[in-house]
Amino acid sequence: MALRELSSSLIRQAAKSSRALPSCIGRATSRFASTEATPPQKSPVEGITKTSTTPQGAKAISFNDFDDLADLESESSFAKPLNLSSSKISEYDPVKRAQGRKRQLPASRYQYRPPRYYRGPLHPHQPPPPSDPSSREYVPGPFSHTRLEHTYQSMIASDLMTMTYVHTPPGTIKTPKADRLRTWDDSSPYMKGRPKRGPRGPGEVLRLVEKDITWQNIPKIERVTVHSMIKGATDDSAYLHVAGLLLQSVTGVRPVVHRARHSVAQFGIRQSMPIALTCEMRGDIAYEFVDKVINLVLPKIKDWPGVAGSTGDSAGNLSFGFDREGVILFPEVEVNYDMYPPKMIPGFHVTVHTSATSDRHARLLLGAFGLPFYGKLVD
Amino acid sequence: MPQLTPLYRLLTPLLQTLRSPPTLRSFSTTSSLSAGPPKKKVNVDPRITLIRYHLQHPKTPRPLKLSRLRGLRHWTIHRAWMLMRRKREEKESAELYRMYQSMSKANELLRTMDPPGMKDAGRLYRIAQEKKGIFGHGGVPIEYARWQTDTPGREPWNHGWTR
Repeated sequence: MALRELSSSLIRQAAKSSRALPSCIGRATSRFASTEATPPQKSPVEGITKTSTTPQGAKAISFNDFDDLADLESESSFAKPLNLSSSKISEYDPVKRAQGRKRQLPASRYQYRPPRYYRGPLHPHQPPPPSDPSSREYVPGPFSHTRLEHTYQSMIASDLMTMTYVHTPPGTIKTPKADRLRTWDDSSPYMKGRPKRGPRGPGEVLRLVEKDITWQNIPKIERVTVHSMIKGATDDSAYLHVAGLLLQSVTGVRPVVHRARHSVAQFGIRQSMPIALTCEMRGDIAYEFVDKVINLVLPKIKDWPGVAGSTGDSAGNLSFGFDREGVILFPEVEVNYDMYPPKMIPGFHVTVHTSATSDRHARLLLGAFGLPFYGKLVD
Repeated sequence: MPQLTPLYRLLTPLLQTLRSPPTLRSFSTTSSLSAGPPKKKVNVDPRITLIRYHLQHPKTPRPLKLSRLRGLRHWTIHRAWMLMRRKREEKESAELYRMYQSMSKANELLRTMDPPGMKDAGRLYRIAQEKKGIFGHGGVPIEYARWQTDTPGREPWNHGWTR
């Protein structure tokens, strides 16, 4: 952009001035060819203003700029004859030297072939790390610093830390909390050396304990998962294929196919039938996706009230969904909407996995990104 | 009408290659009798065929092979990049730590400012510790959730805006 502006301004300047060509060259050399620091009265910016106002100044400046050109050699270095002695020339016989060599030179290329499959940590043939270009998992980049991450680093992280600061006076004695896991009473040798038991009750799991936010555990986005259950995939695999390509184009990640674990007669699902797709995004791709959703897609949805306040799994992972109309608004779908059969375009769920330990902290983070919530807020 | 879209017209030759080859007509003009009931012809949408074709594309290209010097150069640049990234992250976390320390110091000062037994002792400290409404609706007002941009907007802040 700036370069284009620069060149266009140069063209305009050249058209204005009477001595069009030499002054133009002079300016170009003063910008790009001079390596020395110019004294202040000869700076290129001043040169441009002077040339546009007075022809006298133009003459002086362009003269100075040709001094830079004088540093260049007038003759090509190839034109000079090489002064090599005839004995040296006759000695030069690469074929003889190669034949007289005792050992073969090593190959110029690194003759290593990474294994196609990872065969476990004990296999002697291990693949190179993913950062190595010879690795099959190598992805070049990163080529940009995402805008959302930049905003997070410079603004949101410190804001969240300040908002939720809880003061602990020095010398505060931490009272140890009661053990959350149940212990065995050692009445039987069966209980010896066993791990502690989880909470009582069916479907009961040990919930996360919300921790105060300090400079080390400010909530941030860890990964984003897009999930879609394709109802039509029970009858026709085309639904699954269309949804797969759509999710791939929207997320930039190859979707993973999930098979039904149980048969459900009401839904017409049989066991091990491919039924759902998920995409997991991490790092820059995840940030880009959240950026796209918040700034491009959600503002275009008609009468969208916001994300339901009751969302979340009480561990800092918030979900929201897009129906068919919402999916159409994604820019990747919008540009070639014709590619997909309209009735096969699926809706999907988006889960934002944050490093927050409670829903309210996660909501604070996404609220700072500009995602509105509506209704009763449930933790 | 998908047949009329420009994309469809563009892809038509490719689609025609994907379709089954045309059946050869026999020389005889009498209709041929096939055994069994007539098969129902399934017309698959050509777009679906195209999508399936593209989903079959191999996922990853062959791994790159770099020469020794190019590999070394790549390795050096990669190490430098990792070092730079690490330094940046350390700088950011150090800055957050500094802010946290200064907040802690200020709060400690507020807490110990008043002599004990004074009326309203530690009032400012209590006010500073309040977290009223940050976890409710509009904890971060939506108009404050503005992302950084390369250039400022034409109208940087709308002062006349009301909810």
